[in-house]
Amino acid sequence: MNSKLNKYYFGYIFVAPFFISFAVFGLVPILYTLYLSFTNWDAFNDPAYTGFGNYTRLLHDIAFYQSIGNTLIIWIFSIVPQLIIAITLAIILNEKFIRGKHFFRAIYYFPNIITPVTLGVLFSLIFDWQTGSINKLLTTIGLVEDPINWFNNPWWSRLIVAAVICWQNFGFNMIVFIAGLQSIPDEVYEASQVDGANGWQKTWYVTIPLLRPVFIFTLITSVIGGLQLFDSPYMIGNGPNNTTRTMIMYLYETAFKNFNFGYGAAIAYGVFVIVMCFTAVTVWLTRRREQ
Amino acid sequence: MKTTTVWRTSIAILLIAAMLVGCGGKDKQSTASQPARNASGELEGNLVVWTFFDQVEDMAAQFMKENPKVKVEVKTFPGDDYQTKLLTALQSGQNVPDVFDLERSYIGKFIDSKYLSDLSAMGAEDLVANYVPYVQALGRASDNTIRAVSDHSSPGGFWYIRENAQKYLGTDDPDQISDMVNSWDKIIALGQKVEQQSQGQVHLISNSGDLFDIEAYNTEPWVKDGKLNIDPKWEQYYTIQQQINDNNVDAKLSFMSAGWGNALNDGSVVLTTMPAWASFMIDNDNGAAKGKYGVARTPEGYYNGGTYRGIYRESPNQELAYEFIKYIAGEKWQQHNLEATGNMPGNAKVYEKNLNTFTSEITGDQKVMKVYYDVVKDLPALQPDKYSEEILSTWRKVAKEGITNHTDYAAVLANFTKQVQNAFPEIQAP
Repeated sequence: MNSKLNKYYFGYIFVAPFFISFAVFGLVPILYTLYLSFTNWDAFNDPAYTGFGNYTRLLHDIAFYQSIGNTLIIWIFSIVPQLIIAITLAIILNEKFIRGKHFFRAIYYFPNIITPVTLGVLFSLIFDWQTGSINKLLTTIGLVEDPINWFNNPWWSRLIVAAVICWQNFGFNMIVFIAGLQSIPDEVYEASQVDGANGWQKTWYVTIPLLRPVFIFTLITSVIGGLQLFDSPYMIGNGPNNTTRTMIMYLYETAFKNFNFGYGAAIAYGVFVIVMCFTAVTVWLTRRREQ
Repeated sequence: MKTTTVWRTSIAILLIAAMLVGCGGKDKQSTASQPARNASGELEGNLVVWTFFDQVEDMAAQFMKENPKVKVEVKTFPGDDYQTKLLTALQSGQNVPDVFDLERSYIGKFIDSKYLSDLSAMGAEDLVANYVPYVQALGRASDNTIRAVSDHSSPGGFWYIRENAQKYLGTDDPDQISDMVNSWDKIIALGQKVEQQSQGQVHLISNSGDLFDIEAYNTEPWVKDGKLNIDPKWEQYYTIQQQINDNNVDAKLSFMSAGWGNALNDGSVVLTTMPAWASFMIDNDNGAAKGKYGVARTPEGYYNGGTYRGIYRESPNQELAYEFIKYIAGEKWQQHNLEATGNMPGNAKVYEKNLNTFTSEITGDQKVMKVYYDVVKDLPALQPDKYSEEILSTWRKVAKEGITNHTDYAAVLANFTKQVQNAFPEIQAP
């Protein structure tokens, strides 16, 4: 039986397009970037081999470390409220007695379909210190006397960038959580009710633990996505003293503004290592808790 | 070979071929040069022009009107990615344009590259002989040969709403206003007066950063002999900017921001520093701005932006491409462009011809070209280099933060030097 099955290679044929396209459009650029990271290349002349020069520079590059710090701060400020809002809304909108829940699900998901560039521009206009509507509102209601120069303050700048990302993504995570909630069997809730659990206890002791796989999924995707932040913060700007410049923004500026593709490639690999480490830590932590 | 094996292999090949068919492109262009003229001496052939803005369509249309046997295909790629797209095409040599546009902010990166034809060797020195000096210098490579030519200059001035100027400055005459603001000391004193008179509602200028824009090209290049070169004038300008900021001479509205556009139209800023090409920012629906504005001279010559056009060195249509460059450098096109769009010419002869006659709808009877000609003549003829624009933008940002936060000049300079060295480690610190 086995030997007969082994004669057929249809499976390889059917999966071949993916592997070939991945090799052409994924693997080749990845390997080419690796090659470039060992060169000094301004795109106008041929790449010149520099060995580990770019990586040595990267290890001593304060601006790169600053961009890592900025990315992590923005990511934490966006991911924590994002998950709290998403799970809270998912639990509320999963209740049978809530009317118009489909409407609210669509409304909360809506920011996710707006391009990050648009959101970046929108928030930079809203928070403009001279003409932005937030300052107009605050001064009109008398909460502040003079307009706040939001983008001249590192922490306000980072918080605004984090708010953009939070606002854009909480709807998506909410949908994922709702899908997770709907996969929890009713019998579990019925059993907990028989045991005398109230609504709060059902959420805390049944819903949250059974949603752990969904949490892990959202956490890992958020780590990967969050550490590659680019478009929204790019539209908002680098912040005072580059305090909102993320790792990918730094890569973009190095490669595509300063035309230093060799060092840009080294930054790309640096970012890859950092994302890999954080993802591994996240997986390790979640597995450890499961054990 | 078994039939099934043949069948399986065929399917596999078909699948792979079907997938890769989209990856192919046109072959590299032939580098053999083609003659531009036919037997009867008329220009003939096809040209591909790459640009980032749509006014080139008119340029191509006018050229084709002059030369009916020529077809110019204009490909427009708006946005910041244009330079990356262009560079990728030039590197690969696939689907490359014959002529391509380069913007002022990145021409310095391209100008010494192997991708641009030497236009001096083709006779371009004659084309730009009558040009405004700063415009022709920006198209020169480090070996002093011409590699790109612009069809316009981009001078700027202080734009003002006449009624507003009458109210706060006591006159709407451009010459009188130019005299009132011909030094930064006068601007600060006048700005304080306007602020007091309007009880803080109206400011003389938009932003202390306007000073950067005006002085940006009146200073020495940022890199000299591989070393970071900080012109001592920057310290003086920094102090003046600080005074402008602290005395509320400016409305603290950044160039081209939404608030800046509003102020330009509603008059909450008396004088707006603006290049001639930015008049589209003025709301002129149904002729609402007809004759409403005047333009005065800035304390020193000032320009902002500019588009240059070069020929791809491997293009087989060198001759025809050069004819196109020749056309846009000529008086006929620049006169048409001036009348159609209000873009100021690069050719000084066109300036001189129109100085006493040209008027535009927005600025009414004023002979605005007189103002702009005075401005562009003042500007030093500096050649572009691959660092200066990025370094200037770093300086602008660091100094702006310093002014807002009242940081002393030495600290701003230290931060700036650190950032430049980080971005360009090959440049030596001063």
